[in-house]
Amino acid sequence: MSEAVQSPTSTARPIVGRPMIALEGVSKTYPKQTRPAVAELNLEVPEGAIVMLIGPSGCGKTTTLKMMNRLIEPTTGRILLDGEDVTDVNADQLRRRIGYVIQQVGLFPHLTVADNVAVVPRMLGWNKNRINRRVDELLHLVGLEPADFRDRYPRQLSGGQQQRVGVARGLAADPSVMLMDEPFGAIDPITRERLQDEFLDVQRQIAKTICFVTHDLSEAVKLGDRIAVLATGGRLAQYDTPSEILAHPADDFVAEFVGGGAAVRRLSLLEISRLELEEVVISSDGTPAGSHPVLAVDGAGRPVAWHHVPGSAQPPPLVTVPLSGTVYDAVDVMLDARASAVVVVDDGGQPRGALRWDALVADLRIKEPSR
Amino acid sequence: MTAGVLAPTTPQVRSRSWIWRNRDLIATPVIVVVGLCLVLLYAATSRLDSVEQRALDPSYLWAKFLQHLWLTAASTVVVVLIALPLGIALSRPAARRIRTGTLAFGGFMQALPPYGVIILLAFLLRFGTTTAIIALVLASFLPVLTNTVIGLRQVDPALIEAARGMGMSARQTLLRVEIPLAVPVMVAGIRVALVLNVGTATLATFIGAGGLGEPISSMLKLARPQAAFVVSAIVAAVALLIDWLAGIAERLVSGRIA
Repeated sequence: MSEAVQSPTSTARPIVGRPMIALEGVSKTYPKQTRPAVAELNLEVPEGAIVMLIGPSGCGKTTTLKMMNRLIEPTTGRILLDGEDVTDVNADQLRRRIGYVIQQVGLFPHLTVADNVAVVPRMLGWNKNRINRRVDELLHLVGLEPADFRDRYPRQLSGGQQQRVGVARGLAADPSVMLMDEPFGAIDPITRERLQDEFLDVQRQIAKTICFVTHDLSEAVKLGDRIAVLATGGRLAQYDTPSEILAHPADDFVAEFVGGGAAVRRLSLLEISRLELEEVVISSDGTPAGSHPVLAVDGAGRPVAWHHVPGSAQPPPLVTVPLSGTVYDAVDVMLDARASAVVVVDDGGQPRGALRWDALVADLRIKEPSR
Repeated sequence: MTAGVLAPTTPQVRSRSWIWRNRDLIATPVIVVVGLCLVLLYAATSRLDSVEQRALDPSYLWAKFLQHLWLTAASTVVVVLIALPLGIALSRPAARRIRTGTLAFGGFMQALPPYGVIILLAFLLRFGTTTAIIALVLASFLPVLTNTVIGLRQVDPALIEAARGMGMSARQTLLRVEIPLAVPVMVAGIRVALVLNVGTATLATFIGAGGLGEPISSMLKLARPQAAFVVSAIVAAVALLIDWLAGIAERLVSGRIA
């Protein structure tokens, strides 16, 4: 199963871009410390990709991120931004070209939402109309109605809304590169899920090069095109696609960090739309039709109940999962309802096929990539 | 349409509710006016001899009042001009090593009794208004200095990191983020200095710098306690009113942020 799972997802979001951020032999040793926080790190972030930096506390992931915009100056090594050596350029000018979002959000409490978003454009000397247009555009993008929100103060927003403004502020001057330091770390799990989904939606529209620090493996797997696993002392233990890291940890450290849940986590990388689904027969009277499961539908063609599922005497309770979901979602609903099969439905609620428990644990058949 | 939902942020509604929320501020002027009226009524109904009449003469008192205000205002302005920049400099990370020492020295100066300082300074320098102002500056320097340092140090480091991370220079971060957020604490320090100076300025008379202390001390020397009491009441009223005005300023600046 592992082979079958990993092959399609590694081509799911192909990353072919040239390196947008490159660290070449970068080290950081803090004053009065003998061991470096980051040692001889080489890392390339391809254009348009989301690269997740992950690792245990003290592994230097935040230090690495902050060296990219030189909030922390590297002790040795070179930093390249879009091919240009920025190790020695003016740091303030450099940072205005790079979006920056932090966990504590850091919205200025004495400024309105609009003024917070407008900070960098103002420093860059944009004119008023252009700034206003940009603020409205960005608030729309992150799902905050400008008319409602632009004149509010940060204290009048919920934590999730504040973080959206934080993301909008990071995007304000349309930087090609965004650095995000655990931006969803301090947010409740439900809001965090939603923000992650919206973040992926936004990224599909804007296609920025993003470097993202997290300590949450699920977040790294969900958001990342690539994951860089850092070991204590700032050693790059593995740098690969999420499915590759889950399936083939490079060493014991990565294997231990990824932990026992790797097989389950991989399910969330596998989209149902990539599977060969089992055919279902639509029937009104419930006659068994060979080896295929039989489904009863209502007038609009939506499934209402199972008539018959091969291999089980009693038809299981009917559960459905959207075609856009992942195998993880399918397993989740099956376990929840104690059902041995799940109907996959499309956006219109029409059945597109079935997924059975037996098939899940035996062998999943993947469609040939249609390209 | 949405303006209805956002009513609290429209200026008119906010100003009306600001007055309502701060209705407790009315107490001080009411107490001051009532108390002062009672004292003046007492003075008007008492039989005053010619010495007392001269001390309580309105034009004489007015001149002393203006002197008193000048001593207070000038010393406070000098304190602000010196202590604010020094406090800002001390709050910078580079001044980490000398911060504690400087604040301790400020505490030492604060502990000196103003009565002694004002007279010693007069012998060291010369008698007169300038020396009185210097003594007042020494007496009220520390609250402004410490509040400036504390106000700037308590700004959330995440805000400073966000500012620097977006490309603000150290100077822009100070002017656009740190100082605006520290202003309420800084103003509270200036208020303390102002009130200290109003009180301490009554000692200026001992080195010939005038002020409302002059009629008080002369009436006490001439054994006219009623007249001394009336002038003391006026000094108290002035101190309360100045504190009240500074309190309003403090609420105005902190209301924008908190």
